[in-house]
Amino acid sequence: MKTASYDQMIVEAESLAPDLVRRSFLDRLRSYVPFLIGVAIFVWICIDVDIAPAMFLSGFSRLGDFLGNMFPPSSGGQLLRILNALVETFGMAFAGTFLGVVFAIPLGIIGAKNIVSFGPVHFVIRRVFDFFRGIPALVWALILVTAFGLGPFAGVIALALADIPVLSKLYAEAIENVDRKPIEGLRAAGCGRLDVIRYGIAPQVTPIILSQALYYLESNFRNAAILGVVGAGGIGFELEERIRIFAFDEVAFIILLFMVAVAVLDSISGHLRQKLA
Amino acid sequence: MPAILPGGGSKRVVETFETERQAILRRRRTGFALGFLGIGALFLWSFTTSEIIGTPHSTDPLSRLGDFLARMNPDLRGETLFEDANTDGSFLSWFYGWQIWLAALWETLQIAIISSVLGAFLAVPIAMMMSRNLMPISSVRFVLRRILEAIRTLPDLIVALILVAAFGVGPLAGIITITLSTTARLGKLYSEVNENADMRQMEGVKAAGASWWSQIRYGIFPQVVPNYASYAMLKFEGNIGAAAALGIIGAGGIGIELSRAITYTLFADYLAILLLMTCMIFVIDMASEWIRHRLIGVSASGAI
Repeated sequence: MKTASYDQMIVEAESLAPDLVRRSFLDRLRSYVPFLIGVAIFVWICIDVDIAPAMFLSGFSRLGDFLGNMFPPSSGGQLLRILNALVETFGMAFAGTFLGVVFAIPLGIIGAKNIVSFGPVHFVIRRVFDFFRGIPALVWALILVTAFGLGPFAGVIALALADIPVLSKLYAEAIENVDRKPIEGLRAAGCGRLDVIRYGIAPQVTPIILSQALYYLESNFRNAAILGVVGAGGIGFELEERIRIFAFDEVAFIILLFMVAVAVLDSISGHLRQKLA
Repeated sequence: MPAILPGGGSKRVVETFETERQAILRRRRTGFALGFLGIGALFLWSFTTSEIIGTPHSTDPLSRLGDFLARMNPDLRGETLFEDANTDGSFLSWFYGWQIWLAALWETLQIAIISSVLGAFLAVPIAMMMSRNLMPISSVRFVLRRILEAIRTLPDLIVALILVAAFGVGPLAGIITITLSTTARLGKLYSEVNENADMRQMEGVKAAGASWWSQIRYGIFPQVVPNYASYAMLKFEGNIGAAAALGIIGAGGIGIELSRAITYTLFADYLAILLLMTCMIFVIDMASEWIRHRLIGVSASGAI
């Protein structure tokens, strides 16, 4: 009974406005066209990078061997050396973040629209930040190792250089989003420029600066772990050496140790960041 | 309102206020002092272990940097700037390898596109299984969350080092690495988007007798897809840089050219490749940011 009336309603509706009840095949096809074009481009790109299925198979079988060799993980009797490298990695991350923050604060101030309000200058400064943001730490490290020689010094500078544009942008945004009311209150009470910065802007901006710095410390610790691959110090060197000689039990040990260290650092820094917020 | 209180009372109020204020100030100052000491100690220690201070440098690093920059200078000369590649000091002789470099850049871009697309789509079902409102079995959510967390902890390049050893030098190792990290990062972000979705729409579709797939398709997707796309674009921007860096350890693309230039001490080449790469990343970043703002605009108007 009910279904009959329902069907009747459908028929009635279709006769009234055929396009609203059931879309025509052509109409449906048209809505799929962008999707199909996307799929076609994707497939073309996949074919263009030229990945042979044979490579896939042999690669996965080799990867399986590697993973099999990873257990049980072993320190290879060099626990102290590995721990030392891990601590050095943290040192690099801290020094890099510190330098990054120190340089990013003045740059962030310059990049803030409410400090340098002249439009074109603001635009150019921001685009300069955006431009340098594209260079990854490893690319900096590759060239700095050639300039300064092997060792963590180049790594620290690379980390700092990779962070400065991003941090500057974040700090500039933090300064732009400052609440105007405390500043106006201080002005009304007759405070000078320095007092306005000290009591009006700094209390609002400092927590953001510190929590972003902590966040970048976490990310730098991860980045610092790979700079050793190009000779810029830290745990990456130990890791690459062992991968090169296929000592995967030791590789697994270092990776697990590193993951624990990352988890510890993340939870400490997350705790501190929560306190700041 | 101390004025209403009798004389003695207001004095006591002022006293307790004053002592509490002093106590708070003292606590804050010790906190500051401890923070400063801690950061200062870490600063000294980290700058010493990373050989910035306290290590006798054989030469002054600043002068070495100056030397180095001088070697990077491509020696452009004004009068021959627009001559062909065989003339010294021309622009084309500096960028003599531009065809190879652009091909390598295109490969980097391909790695980023393939792995971003794969990761963005793989993350959708995983995120659904990780969202509290779509996945009723808590153990599945827990296990997936821990797995993705573990993957996010690993830096891309460590995974890539192992994969390059397994798959050989070439873009495949890079694609697999970045796909993994994209899936892990987007999976978490997507699941947060899912959990913030308005469930009433899904219930409405369910009440109309729709199947589970239709509930997701018409109740959830219209709410979350603009945010998914915006996150995926954001990750894509990062993936181009990551793909470029992965090339340095042999995972295909422009990174291989960069490390070759360094190995053969062709520093002017390095600068040229770096400029090409940075320009490409810059242009794509700008375009993608524009698209993302439009997407977020769409989602915002959809919410109204």
